[in-house]
Amino acid sequence: MTSHSETPALSLRGVVKSFGALPVIQGLDLDVAKGHRHAVIGPNGAGKSTLFNLVSGMFPVTEGQILLNGAPITGLPPHRINRAGLSRSFQITNIFHRLSVFENIRMGVLARHGRRFDLFSAIARRRAINDETAQILDTVGLTRRGDHLAGDLTYSEQRALEIAMTLSTGADVILLDEPTAGMSREETAQAVELIRKVTEGKTLLMVEHDMSVVFQLCDQVSVLVYGDILATDTPEAISRNAEVQKAYLGEEAA
Amino acid sequence: MTSSKLIFCALALGVLTVLPPFLDAGWQNALNTLLIASLYALAFNLLAGQTGLLSFGHAAYFGVGSFAALHLMLATEDGLAFPTPLLPLAGALAGLLTGLVAGWFATMRSGVYFALVTLAIAELFHSFAPHLKELFGGESGISGMRMPWAGFTFGTTLEVYYLTLGWVLTCGALLWAYTRTPFGRLTLAIRDNEQRVRFMGYDAHVTKTVIFAVSAMVTGVAGALQAVSNETANYAVFGAHVSSQVVLFTYVGGATLFFGPVFGAVAFSLFAFLVSDLTRSWLFYQGLIFVLVMLYAPTGIGGAVTQWLRQPRQRSYAQLAGPAVLVALGGAGIACAVVFLTEAVSVLFGLDYANLKRGAETLPDFALMGLNWGPLSPLTWGLPLVLMVGGILALRRGVRRLTDAEPTFNSNAAKEGLTV
Repeated sequence: MTSHSETPALSLRGVVKSFGALPVIQGLDLDVAKGHRHAVIGPNGAGKSTLFNLVSGMFPVTEGQILLNGAPITGLPPHRINRAGLSRSFQITNIFHRLSVFENIRMGVLARHGRRFDLFSAIARRRAINDETAQILDTVGLTRRGDHLAGDLTYSEQRALEIAMTLSTGADVILLDEPTAGMSREETAQAVELIRKVTEGKTLLMVEHDMSVVFQLCDQVSVLVYGDILATDTPEAISRNAEVQKAYLGEEAA
Repeated sequence: MTSSKLIFCALALGVLTVLPPFLDAGWQNALNTLLIASLYALAFNLLAGQTGLLSFGHAAYFGVGSFAALHLMLATEDGLAFPTPLLPLAGALAGLLTGLVAGWFATMRSGVYFALVTLAIAELFHSFAPHLKELFGGESGISGMRMPWAGFTFGTTLEVYYLTLGWVLTCGALLWAYTRTPFGRLTLAIRDNEQRVRFMGYDAHVTKTVIFAVSAMVTGVAGALQAVSNETANYAVFGAHVSSQVVLFTYVGGATLFFGPVFGAVAFSLFAFLVSDLTRSWLFYQGLIFVLVMLYAPTGIGGAVTQWLRQPRQRSYAQLAGPAVLVALGGAGIACAVVFLTEAVSVLFGLDYANLKRGAETLPDFALMGLNWGPLSPLTWGLPLVLMVGGILALRRGVRRLTDAEPTFNSNAAKEGLTV
């Protein structure tokens, strides 16, 4: 485990986001240490998805700063943030429906290899890229489905593809937005194993509703309530925290 | 590529190469036009079908290519040593540069807004061109001459045809190769999900600008080829019909397939060549065909044919022949009725008939299809009515019999009978 004096992989400083007069994120500070798996939990409407959209560059922040490995990424467009080493998945499956599963993943591998404007080579002959794609396909267990259209996959397969696409650009900081949402218990267990495997040696920030998933995977949890972090601690400490129980866990139980 | 596709391509190539010397100049010219239209449609479909960006202003790049080639042509007349067969390179360059600038602005938006921006850009050219004497030759346009080169005079239609053929085949092959490059795959990904492309490290706007520029470049080549064969162009090449024509080609041919637009370009070019001499209503028929294809075969002729070929069939062709004949007869009946009514209306409300009417006490007979028809006779209107109703009944029955045993068979291919 990395020491706390090291530069955090991801750092948010006084981040504010307002939609019109409505503040959604209110001066949020958050550090995600390198190599950690960090979960963000919180009631619906707390601003978890907005937080992800700010970090990944989908929305501009109103105020504050976001640092990736110490370098500011505030206000950069999504593709620049991705190239800087941060990749995100989407809560609602966001894939290339009419391309093959293999091609879905290869898009990210191509980007990582800097082949963004390659008009002059045959893609079939790019051995390194195709091999790497096959390897990612194998990691997420979709090799058998490589030639199928992504739109034809089952829901849980599409969720696995979503994770594979997020990994494919080779980023060190991975943001997963509710990766197990809508999955059965069995599928969730598989997804947890998959996420554990693929985020080995990387930094993970995930939004998750399922507390058992958080307990199994994460070493840090932040509780987001009304656009601000209420507490950040280990999962065990968080589950014992009276304030958190009142604000979030208790509320759900009630 | 499957062997049947290869055979088809080889056949088409053979016909296009071997046949023209045995045809008269009119047909050679028609084939030349058909080839240029095909390339134009293929270039357009790079945006429309592969990227999902529907441009309503491709005339801008077609026209720019035409004028660029003509300017270079004029320069060769003044003694510039530039090989005549390479004139379309000027069109390519002009299309590319114009496409980069126009594409940068147009691709800032998508959907309807993209279409409107492209339309506005083309209209800009169309309205400015008559006033820019130096660039576009004012209202009369620019004319040039093909200079002889390396023993070729480029004086005959046949020589021009082979020049066009060479360019169209080369550019068509390059466009096909494009789809097999990493950037070609990115093009499809943009069509499917532009947002995700951005989050995978690609600058979607720059990507779309480059795609737009490539499409404009090849469109410029098509424009240049037309200028080279006509030796003239005026501001009319920027007109809305040049933009809309290619939309028609592409969607009637089938935007979902790479070669689909070629079917549309071929069909409409041949249709124009064969029918425009026979009737002044040919544009109406063209529009009617477009509407029918969009209604009954939304994937276009190419899409319907592919679907038909891929369809596994339980019955033999002999068993299908009966219903197919019924469909064809029905379609022919409807077509005859529509043509008769259209032509009768255009005669009855035409100037010539108005003059005839002026002197006569009763409505005089009118001639159509080599026969005389009384405007108030029940036969005149009863015959097309019978043909229409009978045609619809036969068509529906035939389609039902075709589809009954094939539960997933799509009736679109059969209804194509209407348009032939």
